[in-house]
Amino acid sequence: MNNFRTPPTLATEALDMGYGTRRVIDGLDVALPSAKVTAIVGPNGCGKSTLLAGLARLHKPDGGNVLLNGEDIQRLPSRQLATQLALLPQEAIAPEGLTVTELIRFGRQPHQGWLRQWSAEDQRVVQHALTAAGLENLADRPIDALSGGQRQRAWIAMTIAQQTPLLLLDEPTSALDLGHQIEVFELVRHLAGHGRTVVMVLHDLASACRYADHLIAMCDGKIIDQGAPATVVTPQLVRKLYQVDCTLLSDPDTGSPLLANVRRATEPA
Amino acid sequence: MSLSMPPRCLKTEFRKQDTAALLFSAPSIKAADEVSVIPPTGYWRWSGRGTSILIERRAVWVNTGLLLALLLAGIAYLCLGSLTLDPREVISALAGQGDMMTGFMVQELRLPRLVAACLTGGAFALAGILMQTLARNRLATPGIIGIDNGATAFAVASVVGMSVSLAPSAMALTGAVTAAVLTFGLAAGSGTQGYRFIVAGIGVGAVFGAITQLLLARVAIDTANAAYPWTVGSLNARSGGSVQLLGIGLMLGFVAALALARSLTILRFSEATANGLGVNAKARRVQILLLSVVLTALAVAVAGPVGMVGLIGPEIARALSTPRHVPVVAATLAGALVMVLADLAGRTLLAPIELPVGIVTAIIGGPWLLWILMRPQRSHA
Repeated sequence: MNNFRTPPTLATEALDMGYGTRRVIDGLDVALPSAKVTAIVGPNGCGKSTLLAGLARLHKPDGGNVLLNGEDIQRLPSRQLATQLALLPQEAIAPEGLTVTELIRFGRQPHQGWLRQWSAEDQRVVQHALTAAGLENLADRPIDALSGGQRQRAWIAMTIAQQTPLLLLDEPTSALDLGHQIEVFELVRHLAGHGRTVVMVLHDLASACRYADHLIAMCDGKIIDQGAPATVVTPQLVRKLYQVDCTLLSDPDTGSPLLANVRRATEPA
Repeated sequence: MSLSMPPRCLKTEFRKQDTAALLFSAPSIKAADEVSVIPPTGYWRWSGRGTSILIERRAVWVNTGLLLALLLAGIAYLCLGSLTLDPREVISALAGQGDMMTGFMVQELRLPRLVAACLTGGAFALAGILMQTLARNRLATPGIIGIDNGATAFAVASVVGMSVSLAPSAMALTGAVTAAVLTFGLAAGSGTQGYRFIVAGIGVGAVFGAITQLLLARVAIDTANAAYPWTVGSLNARSGGSVQLLGIGLMLGFVAALALARSLTILRFSEATANGLGVNAKARRVQILLLSVVLTALAVAVAGPVGMVGLIGPEIARALSTPRHVPVVAATLAGALVMVLADLAGRTLLAPIELPVGIVTAIIGGPWLLWILMRPQRSHA
């Protein structure tokens, strides 16, 4: 049901973004691969979250464009954009007392109107989102009573209910312990497996290597390399990004790069 | 999700499908789909061709209850006072029968004041819940962020005969807009969230309160005495024109608030989430702010700064409602109810002395405010 037959394209064109006079992203061109999981990584302040805000139209570019299916994203009506692109912000707060199902139902908002408040389609999609996120048993539980991982899955379920071909996540695992991180990443993989294009900002390079198909490495508002983790991630790149030296191994099970013996760089990058 | 469905509802759905099958011989997938639709827990669902409307059961009960309570309070309001009337006498007086004295008492004295109480209470509470939702802070009512006081200072200036003399409503509106611009301007950069916005508002309110006092101190004692009750909030000094303006304003504002209800519900999330769900947060916030400021100004022009109602009304409404939506209707009704009861208490408790309604609401509202501040912080407005 969530196989999107014509995959959407999301790209930027000479994108400049910043806050006031401070330029954070400078002339950035990037095209995000469809139906794949893309992770944007880089040191703090490299502009990765700003780029995501630009892609989601939360922050207006100073120059250049964000193109969704070739169209300037700034020209799209809010509601139409929300049927194409769903966003999970970093610190998502829900009104107190809302249950999991009630939260997920908000994902149907862009598809609803005054005279179309609850259709058979809405019901099916919300039920599907609950199942996809493994929350059937928690459907009537208040959001405040969930664990961190469950809560994050509930938020992702809301974006699933939005039925958008594109899903943007800003550090979806930043406040979670390892077990809860894996819950969220496996859900993300599941979504990409069903044809969604997922773009997430991650500060943890190791998880990015493990769960992303495509890695975008950013430094000082520019992309310094991109591609499959196994080809992109090198000790040189790691040093450039984080000023650390490391030994790279290959995961014996998945083949994805593993960082070992990470230490402060002995010579400047 | 609960799988239970009221049997009556099920029946209607089936019947609908039968009718559809009779009208169109080809089986309709849509109709078959419709049968299996279960309304979300706590809702009634009404559906026709391609349309579906959800009605929250709790909201229906709450609003009906508040309306009944308002009706009862209204009758009590018309009965009680310097001359106590029987409810039957009141009803016959309303119908234009009964003796002249009672008729005059009810129709000319108490009824217009009851209408003014309902309108101002409703407007203050509606403005309150709009501002609270906008700021995602239940302390951020127009009364607390200085808008009431701004409106009062300007309106007093026109009443005590400063060189500018516009109708109180127009002056109150000018004052409310000035205060709102100052508060939002002083909190600029930090947004409407967080305590800086509230502190800026309290400061602006204090300045305008001082201006009101200064104006009163500089005019003749009789003029000041006449204007005073109004500066603390009273339904005694209202002018007919401003009540009519408020009536029209509240009617339009109420419809506008209903139209904004879905956006209001979503704006309780963060700005990013609201935008992600297709709500143009920036535009909606400007509309909500304007609506709140105008409603406050129109209400202040009638009754002075009875801002506490803007805090108490929404609080009652939220306590009675589910967190699924912003209870716009319930807040308006609760505000009207609080105002009617407070003015009734002010008129009767210490009779023949009349307590201004602003003082009564402050006596109730003060401890309430403390309770809100002492309670553990709630995340939603």
